[in-house]
Parts: sequence; structure tokens; C-alpha cells
Amino acid sequence: MIRFFVLFVIILVALFAAELTPPVQNALVLPWTEALARISAAIVTLFDARVIAYGKILQSTANGFAVSIEAGCNGIEAAIILIAAMLAFPAPWKHKLIGVAAGLFAVQLLNIVRVISLFYLGQWNMKAFEWSHLYLWQALIMLDVLVVWLVWMRTLPRPVALSSPPSPPAPPAPPSAATHAA
Amino acid sequence: MPRSILWGFVLRTFLWLGPCFALWYAVARHHARLAGWLAHHFVDIFKPGIVTAVEQPLLDLLFVTTIKVHPTPAQTALLLPEVNPLLYTYGLAFFLALMLAAHAGGWVTWRSTGWKKVLLGATLLLPFQAWGIAFDVLVQVGVKFGPEVSAQAGLFGWRIDAIALGYQIGNLIFPTLIPVVMWALLNRTFIERCRTAPNDKG
Repeated sequence: MIRFFVLFVIILVALFAAELTPPVQNALVLPWTEALARISAAIVTLFDARVIAYGKILQSTANGFAVSIEAGCNGIEAAIILIAAMLAFPAPWKHKLIGVAAGLFAVQLLNIVRVISLFYLGQWNMKAFEWSHLYLWQALIMLDVLVVWLVWMRTLPRPVALSSPPSPPAPPAPPSAATHAA
Repeated sequence: MPRSILWGFVLRTFLWLGPCFALWYAVARHHARLAGWLAHHFVDIFKPGIVTAVEQPLLDLLFVTTIKVHPTPAQTALLLPEVNPLLYTYGLAFFLALMLAAHAGGWVTWRSTGWKKVLLGATLLLPFQAWGIAFDVLVQVGVKFGPEVSAQAGLFGWRIDAIALGYQIGNLIFPTLIPVVMWALLNRTFIERCRTAPNDKG
């Protein structure tokens, strides 16, 4: 438990600090955030053609309402937490890598739902948008991370119990004990 | 429909989130006062003397500083950074929902141990929430209000880098991660049951 916790914190801080550096921002964070806006727009245009994406912005051409996907809303911090939890947990590397890939997919999938839902919530009611954006969706994304981690742990191979030679038969109980037990 | 401990837990968390957010919002003002008081001490540790008091006219926290600003050339005023404490304390609602969702022992065990765990967890959350609030104040003083204010506060060099990192951690990581960590520490048996229980057990 302590080993897991220490490793988790070290990996988390290292990945988070790396995420904040300009090279990682330019090479990974910004391109992913822009891709997220494009993916969200592509999904939304299946049922609402009046939506465009440019940069990290998703905008309605009908009323001009737009959302900009910023840090904390691109799912990267949630992904970092999940990666740190899976890498720190004692498990075979194959399971860790599969878990990270599947977990990132699950987190980002829900994050796309978040972006699209916020896009429409904002057009309907700004108070609802604020609450969902700042509090509710943050908790739901972290719940997603927790559930993915718990599901992943269920898929891990159980430790095999070491077989031991059969123990010799117990000596007969002393007469007094036998009498008492009867 | 097959039921499992895990999916039951997820469903109960969903159901508890609404009431827990409502309860958190109802007590948010008082809870924020505690977190603000602790945040004052954290700012003092990081840079002693720049904050003299914390006020709370409504919900937001106002930090009274010793830093002088000039709204107009003829006027001098003290800088009062304002922080929305809800941004850093909503994890309390999330933590409570997780605790209630994982609790399966009924009213009797809730009365004997459940509420103590919640109280312990809520108390342990406070320093992390105060961290977020403290670094929000520091980022305003050290970065957002410009070089004149940060120089007056004596914040430059490594302190600015530390403030930037502390703010990001307090803003993006702590509010949602720490409630889950506290929940996990207080529910290790439940997690083990989730991990090992077969899918068809309720």
C-alpha cells in the first residue's frame, strides 16, 4: 500500500510537471485539445449542422455561442491520474499497458460527452452551465477514472497460492479436552 | 440484470451526488470560512506578512493584504484579492457521495463508525482545499496583478515558479483527486471486495 502510494505520487507529480512545460504543451496538449474540439464538432454535426470548430473552440453558427476547451477540460489531468494509478499498482506490464490504453479511451470518451453537453447547456442556461462545468462534471470525470481503475484491477491475475505439503495428522487430544468437547 | 458491487456503487454515487451537492452548497459559507482561515496560515508560511486578515462579506473570501495599489494617481488602497472558495471545496460533496455509496452496513454501522469516517475525511480534505485557496491568492498577487504588485510582495524568482505549480496542482488535481484518495484510504475493505467479488453478487 505504501509502495503504491509513494509511486503514485511520484509518477503523478512527474507527469503533471511535464504536462505544464512548453514543449509538452506544444507537442501534445494543444494538438490534443484542438483535436478534441474537432471530434466534438464532427459528432455534433451528425444532428446539428450549425456547429463549427476552430482551434480549441466549438461554436454555434446559429447564435454565436462558443466554448473554449481549456486546461482541466481536455481530460489530460484525469488521464494523468489514471496512468499514475495504473503504473504504480503492482501488475504485469502487459496489463498496465492495455489498462492505460483502454482507460484513456474511456476517460476521453466521457470527456467528449462533457464538452458536447456543456456546449448545449451553455446555450440553454448559463447557471446550469457554470455548475456543471465547475463542479458536477469534474466529479463525474473523476468517478469515471475511479471506476476504470477498479474495473481494471478486477481484470488482473490473482496471486496464486503456494501449495504446501499436507500437514501431518494432529495428535489425539488429551482425555480432559476430549471429554470437555463432548 | 446482473448486479455487482461495483456497478451498484456507481449507481448509488450518481444518486447521492445531487443531495450531497445540495448539502455542500447549504453549508458552503461556513465550510469556506474554515478553509479560508487555514489558507491564511498557508500564505503566511509561503510569504509571511502579506495577508493580515480574511473577510467573508457573502460567500467569496476577501484576503486583506499589506500591498498598496493606486487605482488613480491620487488614490492609495490596499489590495484585496478575492477567491471563490467553491472552486476548491466542492470535493466535499463528491467525497460524501462516495462514502455514502460505499456504505452498505445500514443505519447501525453508520451511527457507530460511518459518520466518524466522514468527519475524519472531511477534516483531512480541508488542508488541500486551503492549499487551492492560498495559491489562488498567491497567483493573483505574484502573477495576475503584474510586476509592481509582485515586487511589493517580494515574490519573484523561484517563488513565482512554485506559485505557478502550486496553483495548477491546487486547481486541477487536488479538488477531485483528494476526495477519491481519502475515500480509498477509508474504504480499503470495500475496494478489496470490488476487486475480488464475482460479478453476479449483489
